[in-house]
Amino acid sequence: MNTKPESQSLAAWVEETREGIDSGRFPARAFNDQAVYDLEQERLFSKTWCFLAHESEIPHPGDYVTRYIGNNNLIVARDEHGEIYANLNMCRHRGNVMCKAEMGNASHFRCSYHGWTYKNSGELVGVPYMKEGYEGRLKRKDWGLVRVRVDSYEGLVFGCLDPEAPPLDEYLGGFQFYLDLYLKHGLGGVEVHGPPDHWIADTDWKICTENFAGDGYHTPVAHQWGFHLGYFPSSGSTHSQGWAVSIPGKGHGIGLGHGPNFPPFGGFPDDLVAEMKQSLSPEQVEVFSRTRTAVGSVFPNLSFLMQPFSLEPGEIGVRFVTMRLYHPVGPGRMEMYSWCLVPKNASQEYKKEAYRAYTLAFGQAGTFEQDDFENWTKVTQAAGMTMVRDVDFPYIMGMDSAPDPEFPGPGHAVVPYVNDTNFRNLWSRWADYLAGEA
Amino acid sequence: MDEISKQPTIERPPVGDVSQYPEQSAEEPIVIANEFADVVIRKVETRNGMRLDIWSPRRGSRILLDAVALDCLTFQEPELISELLERRPAP
Ligand code: FES
Ligand SMILES: [Fe+2]
Repeated sequence: MNTKPESQSLAAWVEETREGIDSGRFPARAFNDQAVYDLEQERLFSKTWCFLAHESEIPHPGDYVTRYIGNNNLIVARDEHGEIYANLNMCRHRGNVMCKAEMGNASHFRCSYHGWTYKNSGELVGVPYMKEGYEGRLKRKDWGLVRVRVDSYEGLVFGCLDPEAPPLDEYLGGFQFYLDLYLKHGLGGVEVHGPPDHWIADTDWKICTENFAGDGYHTPVAHQWGFHLGYFPSSGSTHSQGWAVSIPGKGHGIGLGHGPNFPPFGGFPDDLVAEMKQSLSPEQVEVFSRTRTAVGSVFPNLSFLMQPFSLEPGEIGVRFVTMRLYHPVGPGRMEMYSWCLVPKNASQEYKKEAYRAYTLAFGQAGTFEQDDFENWTKVTQAAGMTMVRDVDFPYIMGMDSAPDPEFPGPGHAVVPYVNDTNFRNLWSRWADYLAGEA
Repeated sequence: MDEISKQPTIERPPVGDVSQYPEQSAEEPIVIANEFADVVIRKVETRNGMRLDIWSPRRGSRILLDAVALDCLTFQEPELISELLERRPAP
């Protein structure tokens, strides 16, 4: 047998972890470990649908951005006929980086090393000294950029490295119902407000995915200034109210926080509310109208948050939506991408206001963001300590809660909002991938 | 498609960084650039009419297109440009 002892013990650790999740335990080691990181690259990011870009980031022919799936850098481009393609950002000749800029517009990409030139959809067209050098041996159609499968939902473009993986619709598995709460803001949908903020943080990507899969539990403590000073319209005594909804077997989860006195659709302009009532189904309207905060994660590393933020203490304030992607760059280290989404049909005034609320709360200088990263970085550091290798965390909130029979949406909905049900679902999906059984 | 027949039929002579063409124009030149190329574009008056001057400073090449040439570009497919790049993508 050639199996290395370390890999045997890692497989055993994954199995133990899977069993632990069912009884409400999850190991700290998962959040900062080289072997776990490597296994995620190999078995998770190479199989899941991963978010690449919002369509409004590449609205015109030739527009492109560069993004990642796992450690693979990709060019996501709209070709001259309006179709979206994702290709590995690597020249097929000797592997130079094709697009060095993070965003731009080009009909063709031309390599800065020997000059091979590709259409923005990835086909190779130009080869210097084709006749003299290759003497007819090089067939251009065999040497295009390496293509990645793409699919989209409501403007969200995802890519998948696994040609055998089920289609995106099946992968989302009903979570679209909740994504609509962020994306169908009016009949025109949403658009990004500028390019994403992004920065490197000494935080494991999974901590963020978990937090945004519905961790309403931390808000009154980590963000207590917002409660105390009145910038965030919730109160410590009622903050546990709301639903936690997960899609069993898919890993996606959302927390839908309620405020007893929070008005339906509070914080949105009236004309937008009228449009939302048309763009959403009656069931979605029922869920949405009772929701003050919607914080959700699409497995594995894309999240959304919609919440009100008030510049005047005590007021309802303005609702904003942020979308974030946690790109792992090493064990316990990630690159955070953070966007602000605004309704396309809203007034410039509202877009500006929503963006202002977003930047005050999120993005690298945002107040909530800093509260969170301070904690997340410490959690990551702790997870890397030697003694922590055998330490588990409790995930036992809501262990026996039955689903709310009144809830009108898909998935497994439980009360209260303060709950570990979504996280157990998240980690068991994660462990399925690591075990090679997703 | 014959892979090796795509050779330049004509190569424009280099013009360096000095244009011999009349360049009196009220308007500022327009620069179109991305991470792969950059060109300077201006409208130039000839004695009897006008042309669009496209100059590639890095390459040192230039083309002057009249209304008929430009008009004909407006109804080409994007594939035409790909074909042109097959002939001589660089240098
Ligand atoms: S590496 Fe791109 S042309 Fe040689
Ligand atoms: Fe937070």
